[in-house]
Amino acid sequence: MGIWEILLIVGCATIVFGVIIGSIVRKKQGKHSCGFYCDGNCGHCIKAKDEKKPE
Amino acid sequence: MKRFALAGNPNCGKTTLFNSLTGSTAHVGNWPGVTVDKRDGVYKKLDEPVAIVDLPGIYSLSPYTPEEVIARNYILDEKPDCVINIVDATNLERNLYLSTQIMEIDVPMVIALNMMDAVEKAGDKIDEKELEKRLGVPVVKISALKETGLKELMERAFTESKKSRAGVTVLNDTALAHLIGDVKIALKGQNVENPLFHAIKLVENDSIEVEMHKETENMIDEFKKTFKDDVFGDDFEALIADRRYKYIAKNFDSVVSRKNKEKHAMTKSDKADRVLTHRIWGIPIFLLVLFGIFHLTFSEDLLFLGKIFSFPGLEDLGVDIEAFGGQLLACFYDGAVFSPGVIVNNLWNNIIVNYGLGFGEGGWLYNLIAESGMQSWAIGLINDGILAGLGSVLSFLPPILVLFLFFSILEDSGYMARIAFILDRAFRKFGLSGRAFMPMIMGFGCSVPAMINTRTLADEKERTATIRVIPFFSCGAKLPILTAIAGAIIAYFGVGNADLITYSMYLLGVVTAILTVLLMRNTTLKGETPPFIMELPAYHLPQFKNLMAHLWDKTKHFIKKAFTIILASTIVIWLLTHFSFSWQFLEEEEVNQSILAQLSMFVQPIFTPLGFGSQLGQFGWVFVVAAVAGLIAKENVIATFATLAACLVAVAHLDIGTLDIAAEEGVDAVQAMILATNITIPALISFIAFNMTTIPCFAAVGTAKAELQGGKRYGGTLIFWLATSYIVSCMVFTVGSWWWTAFIWAAAIAVVVTAIVVKNKKQNKAKA
Repeated sequence: MGIWEILLIVGCATIVFGVIIGSIVRKKQGKHSCGFYCDGNCGHCIKAKDEKKPE
Repeated sequence: MKRFALAGNPNCGKTTLFNSLTGSTAHVGNWPGVTVDKRDGVYKKLDEPVAIVDLPGIYSLSPYTPEEVIARNYILDEKPDCVINIVDATNLERNLYLSTQIMEIDVPMVIALNMMDAVEKAGDKIDEKELEKRLGVPVVKISALKETGLKELMERAFTESKKSRAGVTVLNDTALAHLIGDVKIALKGQNVENPLFHAIKLVENDSIEVEMHKETENMIDEFKKTFKDDVFGDDFEALIADRRYKYIAKNFDSVVSRKNKEKHAMTKSDKADRVLTHRIWGIPIFLLVLFGIFHLTFSEDLLFLGKIFSFPGLEDLGVDIEAFGGQLLACFYDGAVFSPGVIVNNLWNNIIVNYGLGFGEGGWLYNLIAESGMQSWAIGLINDGILAGLGSVLSFLPPILVLFLFFSILEDSGYMARIAFILDRAFRKFGLSGRAFMPMIMGFGCSVPAMINTRTLADEKERTATIRVIPFFSCGAKLPILTAIAGAIIAYFGVGNADLITYSMYLLGVVTAILTVLLMRNTTLKGETPPFIMELPAYHLPQFKNLMAHLWDKTKHFIKKAFTIILASTIVIWLLTHFSFSWQFLEEEEVNQSILAQLSMFVQPIFTPLGFGSQLGQFGWVFVVAAVAGLIAKENVIATFATLAACLVAVAHLDIGTLDIAAEEGVDAVQAMILATNITIPALISFIAFNMTTIPCFAAVGTAKAELQGGKRYGGTLIFWLATSYIVSCMVFTVGSWWWTAFIWAAAIAVVVTAIVVKNKKQNKAKA
């Protein structure tokens, strides 16, 4: 196995684990993987959930 | 850092002002209720930076909807340094109703008279100095769209933010003043902040206030006994609203001088609405507009001119379509002029993806990897796995953007709001109000923001039903499935046309949504349909800046997704198709022994009634893999086909002729799947239907969980999606394969409907 193959394996592993860990971290922060319509500011979803709802 | 809050009525231009002030690209739409939550930005053109908070549009500070509560709580609890109250100057009287309520809070305030360009265009004038004198708060004329008056507005807001301001009310001159004054003194004695605002809300019998100040209930009731009104009796909320409007009408009508004195003269929007919202023609016109959009996006024969006039093809004209010039020409015409969507698509795929990025077979990147001298598995992973998967997904960017552009034009022009209005009557019969249509139509873009937008629905059951059916409004990510399979059906079987197939599948989603809502509202989510009142915005030409901002958002999101979750998924799928359970590397010919194939073969029988299960033989598992990968993100479906195509071609010794399985919008990859499995047209349509109605993606599942606050409704939603997709696909497959099964389905549906009707009648009788 040459240097390119090793780099390929490392690159692929980084992408796959990066995506998995990234989504776990985002979920823990209460963010959705959307980033659309809300100008990338997804934090508001959780804030809104905590708002007192009307009777 | 100082914080300024933007507050105002829905669709008065708050988000446009927010974008202009902060340079953001937050979504702007020409309909009330686009913003359902607050968002932050920074204005940097003053001596010091100022944080700007965009609040959802509200008509009052009463707690009728979650947005009103969000805006009210923000102003009261977070205490911004200044509230910029945006007022639609074309509709001053109604907008000032909210202003009179904000004025009652002890917070510095500036009124921004927005849309002054429209007022001046109509030849009307507003005396802002007089208005300022009467209200007692600074008034600045602006146009958020034309970006005029913004600097003056921010400077005055900055000056005001340095002062303190006590709340004042326009109810001072009314008989109510004494009652409000008594309650205010009582609250002041208890050190309550904003005593005037709370006093008025307590008199109004506002549910949140009554809950917050329970100890004052008896005292206020005693005060109220001293007051009597012959018209409103003890309905203090209606009484106060009436007094506010009377005050506004009396004092502010004179600050506006109209060119056209006739108050109810027909505007251009009114005239257009006589046709577009016609009670009979409204819906057919909408369906025609929708078909027009699909035709302009997908048709390879613009206005069907090629069929009518039988134009010659490029080869008949002696054009060398292998040469670059010929390929370029073929992007626009081949026996018929292509629609704009197809032209953009061809240019993108032929010129950019294949030549520029070199993803396709023969592309520079593809060849570079193939001749790099790397081991064969590494070349396979990059070329057949990563590049094929990514290329197939990226190739769908143009149709998604073109379709989205047309929807944005409809939205920005104000027509979408009309559709909600004309559909209200029909929706009401199914148990939803027209208001539910706006989040549904947003579902055509992406389910996630659409589900968040359901916060505009005050009724929880209506909201749950709407969240559940939003994924049936096919989002951009499902478009690749539709176009690739429709393209493959046309290319392989030589039947149908692309715009008609995609249009019918979109309609199938809409019909499924309507029928399932009807079912839910008569069974598990029974309830009254709330009334629907929506202010119809004036029509205007879509703003280029807004449209581009929408498209940029969509592109950014799509590219980000392609290079993260889709890329990771293609790598994992390639890995699972090249290793066995004993962790042995497999050649492409041994793909049936792979982990993915073995797992998929195990669950394959479940999909047999849907047409893409066991009947497809030894390679049918690819459809199962694609369907399951689609649960993560729908772009994965075609990426999976593209990734698996090379293996299947090798193991099944397929003669694929001129097919380029590594590129060409996934159409050729799907054709390779058809060749390998002999799947039928009804089964392919059933596969599309399954993907359109099943669990949309992980992001949407997360949003549904957050919006439904977990629990039974969330669990029920997941089951609902799985069950609906299974039944709808099964119906599509069986009816498509054996037409007479339509009678069996009709009988089964009749039995279910009868059972529900009988049960509901019994329940109603028992209640009576």
